Amino acid sequence: MQGGTLSRWTMSYFAAACLMFVLGQGMMLAGYGHPAAAASAPETLVLVHVIAIGWLSLLMAGALLQFVPVLVARSLVGGQLAAPALVLLLVGLLCLVAGFVALSGALDLPLGLLPFGAALLVLGFGLIAAVLTVTLIAARPLPLPASFVAVGLVSLLGTILLGAVFSFALSGLTGDTWPLRLVTGGVPLHAMLGLGGWLSLTAVGVSYRLLAMFLLAPEVERPTSRAVWWAGTLAIGLVAGCVPLVVFAFPGTEMLVSVAMAFTLVAVLLYGGDVVKLYRTRKRKQPELNIHASFAAFAALTFSVLFFNLPELRAGEAAPALVYLFVFGWLSGLGLAQLYKIIAFLTWLETYGPILGRVPVPRVQDLVDERQARLWFWLYYGSVAAAGLALLTGVGLFFRACVFLQLVATLGVMREFVRARRLSSVPAALRVPPGVIRPNLFLPVFTLWR
Amino acid sequence: MDEEKEALKATIRDALRMIVDPEIGGSLVDLGLIYDIAVEEGGIARITMTTTTRGCPASSFLTEAVEHCVSAVAGIEHAHVRLTYEPPWTPQMMVET
Repeated sequence: MQGGTLSRWTMSYFAAACLMFVLGQGMMLAGYGHPAAAASAPETLVLVHVIAIGWLSLLMAGALLQFVPVLVARSLVGGQLAAPALVLLLVGLLCLVAGFVALSGALDLPLGLLPFGAALLVLGFGLIAAVLTVTLIAARPLPLPASFVAVGLVSLLGTILLGAVFSFALSGLTGDTWPLRLVTGGVPLHAMLGLGGWLSLTAVGVSYRLLAMFLLAPEVERPTSRAVWWAGTLAIGLVAGCVPLVVFAFPGTEMLVSVAMAFTLVAVLLYGGDVVKLYRTRKRKQPELNIHASFAAFAALTFSVLFFNLPELRAGEAAPALVYLFVFGWLSGLGLAQLYKIIAFLTWLETYGPILGRVPVPRVQDLVDERQARLWFWLYYGSVAAAGLALLTGVGLFFRACVFLQLVATLGVMREFVRARRLSSVPAALRVPPGVIRPNLFLPVFTLWR
Repeated sequence: MDEEKEALKATIRDALRMIVDPEIGGSLVDLGLIYDIAVEEGGIARITMTTTTRGCPASSFLTEAVEHCVSAVAGIEHAHVRLTYEPPWTPQMMVET
């Protein structure tokens, strides 16, 4: 394939992800889960999985379905599986969450929902991983950004398989001791594989390509970028290596995690240097808002990983605040910032691509209003930082006030997404030229693609 | 005859200035994305072009737009568009951002 194509269901993944993000923050605002409940309480598990699977993983899956073909310059193999995978993931998440609610005792639901939900999630993520893996295999040797995605997919499989074991153990379907040992000692490994390997390494890999693309910077595979891949992969390998130690109750987990954290810090610092180099070598004089809004996410990544390297902070009361900064500052901040660009870009392609060269059309940038969105991003990152501080100080009401502002900012950014989809910012004279089919808000237009 | 072809090539180049890269905003010509324009007997135009990124989701729309635009030039009966990434486009090929 020389050119790329539009991923038909990516916008539906994004819409579902945004809904889940709002739902998750709504739960925190209502005082559901941590810090009102313990970090390991079922209520917190509901919240964590709505954010990690519902928001971040659906966002990542939708983005990869669109951008892996760009990374490897090949068509997606089996792209028609995207829709069934989305259904499996949403139903699986619903069942998993219902299982956690049952575990909390709030509702009288069967605990069997936990492994049932996990099985659907394994199937859904399995389909996504299969589609992306086959596409990557066909494109070997892989360019560096795609190699990050490959490690991310392996981490995803490790994460969901660990999660599936947890679900069997928590539902009481297995009486073996090793799954229970995993539940007791393996939850941080599950989180590190998911948030670090699957979500972060993949985001870093894709960002190398997208940043170069959006900044018009030379796409060079720097030795430092390869070192980021090696350090990140070694870190994930060490975390994965802890799993058998936990299963067989061997010591050494803490030491391996410490080394993995040190590798992660090296990767993050080198990555930060690469981002600065990309920015400095850019040809685009005025970077757009998605770039500037991503800088705060990079800062959150550096800050949280730096402090995770201190064992007393990692295992102490500061841990929830650091995890919060990592999830909402780094992963969610980057997600919102890049969505802001990607939604406008894909909407432009869907709407104006077919009539390009026939009549005057707007630019991608004409679909967005950066003045409005900039304020929302300021409010978002400010409230994330304040919420992190609130978690450190342990003031529950202050935390919820910060989450309220964070949710307002999120809704503000999402309003900009909807405005882009509705072409609201496009000058009236250019908005709907003859031959244009207005895009649906989040479902594909069925006559456009075959 | 050669003068006619040169004039046609210039007309095609001018016509292609109306196609704007959606991401950067400049015309495909000014961005250096049109590598070559050749005109053959019988009004056949052959355009060699690239996109800013290999695998760019906009590439099929851009090649179709170029084909449509060139076909509409007076004196051109048929336009062939070839998408290439040899050499890959670099920002240095732009006239101006």
